[in-house]
Amino acid sequence: MIHDLPFVGFLAALMGLALRRPFLFILAYVYIDIVSPQRLTYSLLNSVPISLIAVALAVGSWMLVDRKEDSRIAPRQLLILVLLGWCAVTTQYADFPNNALDKWDWVWKCLAFAAFLPLTLRTRLRIESLLTFMVLSAASIIIVGGIKTVAGGGGYGALDLMVANNSGLYEGSTISTVAIAIIPTILWLGKYGTIFKRDWKVKLFVAALVFACLLIPIGTSTRTGLLCIGLLALLKLRDSKRKLLYLGMIGALGLAAVPFLPQSFTDRMSTIKTYQQDESAATRVAVWKWTWDYVQQHPLGGGFDMYRQNHIRYDIVTADGTTDNARLDSTLTTDHARAYHSAYFEMLGEQGWPGLILWGLIALGGLFRMEVIRRRYRKADGEEAWIAPLASALQAGQLLYMLGACFIAIAFQPFMFMLVGAQIGLDTYLKRKRAETGFRPIVKRRAPAEPQPATA
Amino acid sequence: MIDYFALAVSHGLMLIAAWFLVTRRDLDDERPESTKKPLKRP
Repeated sequence: MIHDLPFVGFLAALMGLALRRPFLFILAYVYIDIVSPQRLTYSLLNSVPISLIAVALAVGSWMLVDRKEDSRIAPRQLLILVLLGWCAVTTQYADFPNNALDKWDWVWKCLAFAAFLPLTLRTRLRIESLLTFMVLSAASIIIVGGIKTVAGGGGYGALDLMVANNSGLYEGSTISTVAIAIIPTILWLGKYGTIFKRDWKVKLFVAALVFACLLIPIGTSTRTGLLCIGLLALLKLRDSKRKLLYLGMIGALGLAAVPFLPQSFTDRMSTIKTYQQDESAATRVAVWKWTWDYVQQHPLGGGFDMYRQNHIRYDIVTADGTTDNARLDSTLTTDHARAYHSAYFEMLGEQGWPGLILWGLIALGGLFRMEVIRRRYRKADGEEAWIAPLASALQAGQLLYMLGACFIAIAFQPFMFMLVGAQIGLDTYLKRKRAETGFRPIVKRRAPAEPQPATA
Repeated sequence: MIDYFALAVSHGLMLIAAWFLVTRRDLDDERPESTKKPLKRP
């Protein structure tokens, strides 16, 4: 546990600055939602509903003083609201009403904020500042994990990320996925950010933070994170101009990294190939089968936390002897109330087909819209050079999340819904800009200088 | 110690970013100064 006072001072300073620029209340809420300082401290912040205060100030200041004429509503915001409404309906008839209410209590806030956030993202700098705060908030966990991994404190479920209750981003697999998913955004901020002067200090910090992000799957020994690193390498290949050189560098870096990987990591990664001998993997497959069967009878889902009723039976295969001459033994194992270990089955089981389809449309809609923006501004230059790379980074983040979500029940991860909010904000911002200028991306033409970063 | 270092770096950068943002007019309005509507007199 960490002392309260630095956090209180930080929040007081942030709120004080927000009195001059109310948009900072939004950033304060983003920070509180991601870092949860009340979980890190002893008592003072625990006794005050800081999250509620921040969201009240954020929404209140937007309603009272922010300009509304620049705000646009995108179809995906409506989809998020429909999903919110549907979750309210399933909570009414949930199989476990009390547990469902507990989850509803934070899910509705996550969805409502994701639908609200794009309304406030009226300028490029607001989009950038949101991403900066998201990245720096996550960095407070990632830097801890990165340094402790280098110092040899890693291992599956063993990396100390300051909070031991496995919630939010402090859970190993979740932070692994998020750490890899934000790498494209970190790189974008390093190249196109205007808040900090882009000098050697920013470049050094970006490089160190990306390195720390890559260390998180190693430190937490999560297989999901390793898969995400693989997908990230493929996605960066898409954006690289010298593909052969890039492939060579990735191969060389991968080979050079192998001797430095800790034993706990290589041991755990080797179980990807022998998943039948792994209880964690076997229970996942069994829970997914059980959820699929449940939805055949209950296509509208069983409400939040319906997994509590599952009873599953699965085989664990053990191998004795050498690789060439192994004896395989199969042991029947039973279990109950196993979690989904997949956001897709989480949505299917809890919210049924309507929920899964809505959730899928929100995610796929993001991929599609970012691709449209990527292509539309691919050749844009000057003032608009930042747009296509940002769309690419947000799209990559979404794809990496969707891969990680195959193996972790993070369907309502607030961080990722904020990323969706940033995507919608970018989309509506550009739509307004096009309407103002008569839809004409600047192509191959020298434009006025970019917004000048502030200097210290 | 590591915890304190990571928290100090990330929170320090957030505060500096917030300070810079306060000084940036384009946080709230990207229109050039000349195209802004004049304030209504009370």
